[in-house]
Amino acid sequence: MPPLLQVSGLYKVFHGQSSVDGISFDMEQGRCVALLGPNGAGKTTTLRMLAGLMNPSRGRILFEGNPIGDNYRRQIGYLPQAPAFYNWMTGEEYILLASRLSGMGGKAAAGHAAAVLERMGLQDAARRRIGGYSGGMKQRLGLAQALVHSPRLLLLDEPVSALDPIGRREMMELLRDIGKETSVIFSTHVLHDAEEVCDDIIMMNKGRIAEHGTLTSLRAKYNRPVIILRVEEAEEARLWLETLQTRSFILESRLEADGSLLLKVDDIASARSVILREAAERAIPLLRFEAGTLSLEDVFMEAVGG
Amino acid sequence: MKTMDLSLLWPLFALQGLLAVIGLISLARARSVRGPKWVWAIIILLGNLLGSLAYFTIGRKE
Amino acid sequence: MRNTWIFYRKEMLEMLRGYKLLWIPVVFMILGIMQPISAYYMPEILKMSGDVPPGLLESYTLPGAAEVMAKSLGQYGVIGLLVLALSAMNSFAGEREGGTAELVLARPLTPLAAASAKWLAQLTLLVLSLGLGAAGAGYYITLLIGPLPWSAAVSASALYGLWLMCAVSLTLLFSACLRAPAAAFLSLAAAGGLALLHTLLPRPLRWSPAALPKLSAEALLRQEYTSYAWVFPVLSGIALIVLCFLGASLLFDRNKLPRF
Repeated sequence: MPPLLQVSGLYKVFHGQSSVDGISFDMEQGRCVALLGPNGAGKTTTLRMLAGLMNPSRGRILFEGNPIGDNYRRQIGYLPQAPAFYNWMTGEEYILLASRLSGMGGKAAAGHAAAVLERMGLQDAARRRIGGYSGGMKQRLGLAQALVHSPRLLLLDEPVSALDPIGRREMMELLRDIGKETSVIFSTHVLHDAEEVCDDIIMMNKGRIAEHGTLTSLRAKYNRPVIILRVEEAEEARLWLETLQTRSFILESRLEADGSLLLKVDDIASARSVILREAAERAIPLLRFEAGTLSLEDVFMEAVGG
Repeated sequence: MKTMDLSLLWPLFALQGLLAVIGLISLARARSVRGPKWVWAIIILLGNLLGSLAYFTIGRKE
Repeated sequence: MRNTWIFYRKEMLEMLRGYKLLWIPVVFMILGIMQPISAYYMPEILKMSGDVPPGLLESYTLPGAAEVMAKSLGQYGVIGLLVLALSAMNSFAGEREGGTAELVLARPLTPLAAASAKWLAQLTLLVLSLGLGAAGAGYYITLLIGPLPWSAAVSASALYGLWLMCAVSLTLLFSACLRAPAAAFLSLAAAGGLALLHTLLPRPLRWSPAALPKLSAEALLRQEYTSYAWVFPVLSGIALIVLCFLGASLLFDRNKLPRF
């Protein structure tokens, strides 16, 4: 059986500038994939092409081995970054319209609409005009319209980035549940959100895929030991830190904003013993010594070359 | 000379009144309009056909 | 087909909730019945306005029923056209710029089906408004002036309606690719320009849709048709509407996302 989604060599060029620059990936049924990348990485364009709203300049999208068409549209649910509804409709009317447009019969539509509105916590607001909804309610209505026809693939563009902390919490909880039931692709620029909801991560930068894999495999791949050091303000200590950066066991060093020094090392055991011994010999006024591994945030920065 | 027969004219006034009422209801229920609401209310009430027309075509935001 | 119907119902509900389905027919009725009333009371209106040159009142003769009907329909050529164009300008543009198109077009709703629904909705509004307006005018004309040849009045209204639908179709076409105000302005300019061109060069343009208002008046004034002068304007009018419709579906397909 072919994978749920096969994307190969997808390009999108706007006015001579490529917004999506040749991306390819496969997605299996039931997976949850986070499209992670900074603003302008091409996430929205990618999702719009996957939703069939934009034609790729080049490349191919296959859904279960078939080119995408009207039948495909029935099987996807799409939530754009800032969903806009008919403000003169009630929430219930909109969900009914959405489910009817996706091919559901009158009775089934009514049943699904009521169920999905309740799940999104909108049952009390269902008969009110959408124009009076808060931002968080609109986002949940957006998720409701994406879910109402029981799609097999959900495409969500930055579903939490415009929300306040409470709305964000509610949405993340809903997303975690939905991620367990359906195949989901969702885009975000916040690594923490990706980690919380999804098992697969595609890191995008400048229209290309910088890294693609499961959360655990990415962690393993970028499992670089690091040592973080911070010393008191003293001439001697500063000089010592500078000499440290040139040692052979240091792969890379970076001065952080708070004044501490981050050292990527190849052999944590020997690096640790050398550093601690020297610090003791020279009576360096250490404030902080930490040995650990690179955070996923750093993995991301490294992968996108930032 | 013919006298103005009110029984002939009242449908015209009724339609004008109806238009003004629709305009005022729409104005009252609108979240926001171009310019202050009370100005539009005056225009609808005093502006006859053209006042209501101006409100519906220019005043309303869609 | 099914989605066209679903979307048509949404369009009609939108017109109702936005009061368009109420105020536009009322405006058309007011315009329609104002003409026979003012023709009937013209001497009184002139007298009330003060200085009337002597002899004018005496020489005033009440125009015929058909003539007043033609004038009533002529009322829709300016204010009616303006109202319809302004009400149609947001049809596509509003959905695109507001972002609602992005959501509905991600569903199995094709741009062609959406455009069909929008055309049908505008047609419904036009038929309702023009029908009520012309019926009101006809009623007052028979009451105040004299018997009206009804079949001629119906065909005259239909010819005028076709011209209005041409203008609405132009608005919808421009709305599918431009912002709303630009769409209204361009379509009014196009319809006005065409009408002006037709009055300047009636003979070379007698086949064009711009000949429809004149034909509409002629249908009432010259009740016996000897020529088939209406065939080409009607056909070219229908062709214009179909072309606008196809063009709009194509443009809406390419312009369904807001521009930044």
